[in-house]
Amino acid sequence: MIEHDPKLNVLAPIEIRPRLDRLERLVRRSGGGRMTRAEALGLAGLALLAAAGCGGKTSTGGGGGASSSGAADPLAGKPIESNLVIYNWSQYDDPSTYKSFKTQNHVAIKETYYSSNDELLAKLQAGGTGYDIIVPSQNAVGELVQLGSLMKLDKALIPNASAVESSWVKTAYDPTGDYKVVKDFGVTMFFYNNTIVTEKPTTMKQFYDLLPKYGRVGRTNLMDGAEEVVPLALMALGYDPNTGDPAELDKAKNFLLSIRSGVTTIDSSNYINDASAGKIILGQGWNGDVRRIISARKKQGDITAVLPQDTSEKWADNWCIPATAPDPVAAHAWINHLCDPAVAVTEMEYHNYPIPIQAALDQTPAELKNDPLFNVPTSYTDHYKFILNPSQEIVNARTQIYTAFQSA
Amino acid sequence: MTSETIQPPKRSPRRRSFAPRYPGWLTAPSLIYYMIFFLGPLAILVVFSVATQAGFGSVSYTFSTSQFKALNDPLYIKVFRQTMLMAAGGTALTIAIGYPVAYWMSRYLTRYKTLALLLVIVPFWTSFLIRTYALKIILDPQGYLAHFVEWTGISSQFNVLYTGKAVAIGLAYNYLPLLILPVYASLERMDWKLVEAATDLGASPFKAFRQITLPLTLPGLITGALLVFIPMCGEYVIPQLLGGGQFAFVGTVIGSNFLGAQNWPFGSAMAIAFMVLLSIFVVIYIAFATREEQFGA
Repeated sequence: MIEHDPKLNVLAPIEIRPRLDRLERLVRRSGGGRMTRAEALGLAGLALLAAAGCGGKTSTGGGGGASSSGAADPLAGKPIESNLVIYNWSQYDDPSTYKSFKTQNHVAIKETYYSSNDELLAKLQAGGTGYDIIVPSQNAVGELVQLGSLMKLDKALIPNASAVESSWVKTAYDPTGDYKVVKDFGVTMFFYNNTIVTEKPTTMKQFYDLLPKYGRVGRTNLMDGAEEVVPLALMALGYDPNTGDPAELDKAKNFLLSIRSGVTTIDSSNYINDASAGKIILGQGWNGDVRRIISARKKQGDITAVLPQDTSEKWADNWCIPATAPDPVAAHAWINHLCDPAVAVTEMEYHNYPIPIQAALDQTPAELKNDPLFNVPTSYTDHYKFILNPSQEIVNARTQIYTAFQSA
Repeated sequence: MTSETIQPPKRSPRRRSFAPRYPGWLTAPSLIYYMIFFLGPLAILVVFSVATQAGFGSVSYTFSTSQFKALNDPLYIKVFRQTMLMAAGGTALTIAIGYPVAYWMSRYLTRYKTLALLLVIVPFWTSFLIRTYALKIILDPQGYLAHFVEWTGISSQFNVLYTGKAVAIGLAYNYLPLLILPVYASLERMDWKLVEAATDLGASPFKAFRQITLPLTLPGLITGALLVFIPMCGEYVIPQLLGGGQFAFVGTVIGSNFLGAQNWPFGSAMAIAFMVLLSIFVVIYIAFATREEQFGA
């Protein structure tokens, strides 16, 4: 354990003690040991001055005794574990991120993958434990919070998270902002082949209305799953995507059935390749995927991408720690590492989805930060809504509508 | 020294009897495996199907028929009907392709019979998923097959992928060996002298086929047809990949209820109901299978 050094307690408030403890360990390790706590923290302080987004807390008034932290902070002062088990979407983080985390923290990382939130939830509900980090989307976070499956994050162990834009901290699916740190976010939009589709749709409703006409001409595509199809249609009709009102759901159902003949495929996993080959003339897509489609069709220049004017879906994938995580300190360290602006920049260059940390966004190459399909302007996202799973009844109703839509 | 002593040892009648020679409990490991891993999941499914939902992904264990009542909805009856129709179409296509192949193998091949049989089974050794993806490439509207069809002028626009046709082709392709093998077996066992006799007596080749070959191979054909029809009904991957996600098979709907909605009771009820429905076909299958055993040529 770390010895108490009274000098340091005079300089800093007690709340940040765990952070200092961790810093000291970090610096000691990278410095090869053999230094006093004061030396180590001094070095860390220098490093901190250089790093962005770490002001705030450290400058607030000091004082406080030397006693160890209370029950509210169960992880404070605990040493970092030697393992970290991540359960993630495949190829969602830059390989260099893992490497730098390993060398800085001497933690062995093991990662396994899932391909949908359903798979993640099913695994956790079937009693899957042993994961330190999971990456659920907004609807799954809401559900996991309801189920009490997530650990309340110890923000003191994630100092870098203070740089996350405030609008992404307390969100509709995590009103207290205690259970997640947003990993990255995106929106659902649509695109069309401008040599075939002559109208210039600007809203999701106009997109749907064009389907019956162009479904006969070529392939059209909707994003699959009840949680996409039904809420997106609700939004196009001007309703809340998370509504449980039977009348509104019924209207969405009838609307979907009325455009059904114009839908050739309902698919979220193969559409990037097919659209890149010019096979889809009118379709929905996630902004990162649509960026890839546009760049694949650069030579032909026949794809127009549209961020819907009125409203659409915004989604976020989140760093969360399961309540059963065996290595919680390492998990917090991982989230903190990913919020480091330098790491966030390489991450964004890798996965092409924005991380809501301004300091990092500013450092991304111009072709990323100036592209509205990557750095979606807040003038759009402010009107966009999260699709959640508010209750089991609503999810069942959506599933039934989706089945009717599929089998029509 | 008496006559009794020369009598054969008493063991001999036992050797000739049909009674099993080893104690039955030796099969216990197999039976235990069967009970835990085959009947166990089925029992869980039954328990779920009469339970009710208690929030996301959790159930409260009651006895309620509400899930089955919810199934009695025009929507799900339509899904059942559509699935069976698609499977029936797939089965018909499988017979149309499989029967002639089996006939050709059995009647025309001598030296290469085993090789042909092997070639029928070989695709089964590759992953089912990869083969279905490969089919996507073949059926692509911009692929070689499409170019060829358009070049020959059979059709001006080859637009098969993501239609019911693609699903039927995928079903037929993936289950073909399951039909060819039993049909081939019944053709192999047939006495071709009967056909010879029929033609000698003046029957046309078609009449001989209709009146002799077909009835004699019918049990094999029915066996094969049910062997492909039943798994086709439970198909989940093919309609997703080749139908572009726009065909709701029973398997698809069960999947979206289990995973998407986390509604385990309803998904289980649907699975059980469909299983009962398919059992009718299994009964037919068993009837024909036993009949073939008794009367097969």
